[in-house]
Amino acid sequence: MSRNSDDLFWYPKTWMDDECASVVRLVRQWADREIVSRRMEYREGYEKLFPEKRKKLCIDIGIQKLTVPADLGGFGWNGPARAPALLTLACETGRADASIGVLCSTAWAMLALMDFHHPGGCNAGTVFAPMYASDALQTPAVILPGAGMKGMDTPLFLGRSIHAGAKKSGSGFALSGRDLRPLVAGGIADHFCVVCTMDGDRPCVAFVPGNAPGLRRGPSILMTGLNACGNAEIGLHDVPVSGAPVLEREGVVEELYAWLNLLLGGVSVGAATNFFELLADWSDSRVIKGGTTLKENPLCASVLADVAEEIALAKLLLYDLAVIIASSPEPGHQAIRRTFTYAEMIGHRAQQGVMRAMNRGLELMGSAGYAKEWHVEKHWRDVKTIQSILYGMAADAPLKMDTARFFYDCTQI
Amino acid sequence: MKHFDEFSRPEEYISPFDRHFRRLLRRHLEDWVMPERRRFDEDWKDHSLIEPAFDRLMAELGMQKSLFPQEYGGWGLAGSDYVFRGGYMLCEELGRADTGMAVALAVTFWPLLVIMVEPYRNDRLIAEFAPLFCGAKKAVFAANAMTEPQGGADIENLGLLGGRTIRTTARLDGDEWVINGHKLWPTNSGGVSSLFGVPCTTKPGSSDPRDFAFIYVPADLPGVTQGGAYEKAGMAADKNGDIWFEDVRVPSWYRAHGPGRDAEAFYQLIPFGQVMSCAFLTGAMMNLYERLYEFVTTRTYNNRPLKENDAVAGIIGRIAGDIDICRILGYEAAMIGDRRNKPYGRPLISEDVVGRIRNIKDFMSDRAVEIFGKAMDVLGLYGADRDWDIEKHWRDIKIVQLWMGGKQLCQMEAARHFFNCETL
Repeated sequence: MSRNSDDLFWYPKTWMDDECASVVRLVRQWADREIVSRRMEYREGYEKLFPEKRKKLCIDIGIQKLTVPADLGGFGWNGPARAPALLTLACETGRADASIGVLCSTAWAMLALMDFHHPGGCNAGTVFAPMYASDALQTPAVILPGAGMKGMDTPLFLGRSIHAGAKKSGSGFALSGRDLRPLVAGGIADHFCVVCTMDGDRPCVAFVPGNAPGLRRGPSILMTGLNACGNAEIGLHDVPVSGAPVLEREGVVEELYAWLNLLLGGVSVGAATNFFELLADWSDSRVIKGGTTLKENPLCASVLADVAEEIALAKLLLYDLAVIIASSPEPGHQAIRRTFTYAEMIGHRAQQGVMRAMNRGLELMGSAGYAKEWHVEKHWRDVKTIQSILYGMAADAPLKMDTARFFYDCTQI
Repeated sequence: MKHFDEFSRPEEYISPFDRHFRRLLRRHLEDWVMPERRRFDEDWKDHSLIEPAFDRLMAELGMQKSLFPQEYGGWGLAGSDYVFRGGYMLCEELGRADTGMAVALAVTFWPLLVIMVEPYRNDRLIAEFAPLFCGAKKAVFAANAMTEPQGGADIENLGLLGGRTIRTTARLDGDEWVINGHKLWPTNSGGVSSLFGVPCTTKPGSSDPRDFAFIYVPADLPGVTQGGAYEKAGMAADKNGDIWFEDVRVPSWYRAHGPGRDAEAFYQLIPFGQVMSCAFLTGAMMNLYERLYEFVTTRTYNNRPLKENDAVAGIIGRIAGDIDICRILGYEAAMIGDRRNKPYGRPLISEDVVGRIRNIKDFMSDRAVEIFGKAMDVLGLYGADRDWDIEKHWRDIKIVQLWMGGKQLCQMEAARHFFNCETL
């Protein structure tokens, strides 16, 4: 097939310099050589190959240290200006394997919150920089606010329940929370990035090592997709977090949501791009009504058009979001709200669009759509999992409320 | 609403069989299938959990003999005037528990319907196969070996193509049919079936319905080879694989009815398959409602139960509303089938019946894909979680949408019927 998905799913590249282009090219080569061209082998040996391929990308190629500042041993892609480049890499990794893409994206989102050179002793960056610049594979897990339990009032982040709380304890903090469910990787994470409250009040972000005393992991959770990410619930009982501080600045939780919407959107678009490639091959080679290729039948062509349109538009929207994040917003409540709202709106649209593309594309593939040997079903399951976990709860109702608050100044919802 | 049973269906459509058997079947499934179903996915190859569940359902409870006439040891469902509605009830209850088991059971009935439903009844073949199903102590499966590697949904598109693309051949040699060909994807292949119904051509390339033959082939005959089961996104209880027929010989009277009538009797299977697909969907939808009800009642947004938030209520209200409407439509589809012999009904092989039923199945499938996806999003972090069951149904109902020619063939059949299209 001579299709070039870069040319087909066009996006503005004004931000892409030579260094960025070469990193993107490296990741594309990794995806094609290690996974995309060896789908069957990868599927059959997934348990063994997943960590191998991930390590090759993150350590051998060095993607893990990408967003660590150069003076701390990384590539220096820290800072919001790199948002479009990171989005491109999220797409590339998602095209190969959404689980790898989600783990990379979670790490980039977490590191994006950190000010590595804060003069006032804020040492999250200095704690994590050596870890991510090292040759030891790092796995983060993010815990966001979500659904509460009836009869148990909790502090809220825009209506969502915050189940973890930090309290000052000596020179540091102690963190507690029950039944905390990370987006992914709760069972395998080396550290947790937890949205919590400080002294039962405002939302903030704390970091907890995976081996911290008082941290308990629950049994593995079987999920629709992303199972390589090994999720499990955790419990925290007065876990000390003195090594890495709590990030308390205004808007830090909104920032985390914005990065996750951007990068997990990129993973989904990447998965959809490979879905498109597989579907395009299918529509070239399969016939209906005794002889017409699928793509030459007007009804099938209209379905194929839907698939391409949804992917192309989702990708363009995400690049708009990347530019919004990259153009350093002026500080202040309104700017934080604006970026957060646009991130949610665009992330939501992108995930919906990609899911619709896949649901429609599967219609044309019949049983090959749900047979594991054709690989498209994995993309479909992975993207649905990303979509659901990103919503967190109640489908799109909370984000509609967030949007209404921003545009209409609602105060009671 | 106090119970999921209260989702609407026209009361006058409910069959006597429904009143007597539904509660028994539900209890059986709640005792024996639903507690195990979360482990079925990993059992797709071995069926070490699934096979005993089938033995209890099909042999001990006796469901595998339900179609057969009472004089052959069955329950007489195929000869009743409520075969569609009775089947709908069975498949709805099974679908609530596990759509993979539902389709494996329903497809066992599928090839047998070709010889059991008036006016296409063949008593000699019924007598031949009845002992296999009615006397067994273990589950016995049958399969409709339709799809071929080159043809996709062509066989389901018999109305347009007339069997022109079928490559599996049947040649009469003395008093035996000699069958050669390759089929793939039938439900209950992958080594589980004892009997295949095989659509063949007696004249390759012909679209004359008289050259279409539907021939029964016992799975243990020389020349029948089955491949292993495919691994799929869902429906682990339904095994699918390849089947090769190489000079397989069966008695000439294993052909269902003969030239012309084989195609008619076979074409009846399309409405049966589509109506039972609707039943799988409403069964799964009712289970979705049960699980979603629990979640939105016990989980909160703004520290109030999700269902008490107006915006969330708007979403879950639409989900339940769609289930309600779909159930009415599903029972209407079943009733279209059961009206087949009434003065105001239409034969199952009519374009009218095929078009209307395909249309209902297409509509219900779309709604199912939408509401299961939405329900997973309502559960959010828990939506993809096996323990909440909805994600399993989400995978399964997508398969229901895709099979039997999928959405686009449904759209074409509807267009042919409603707009009298002549070239589609």
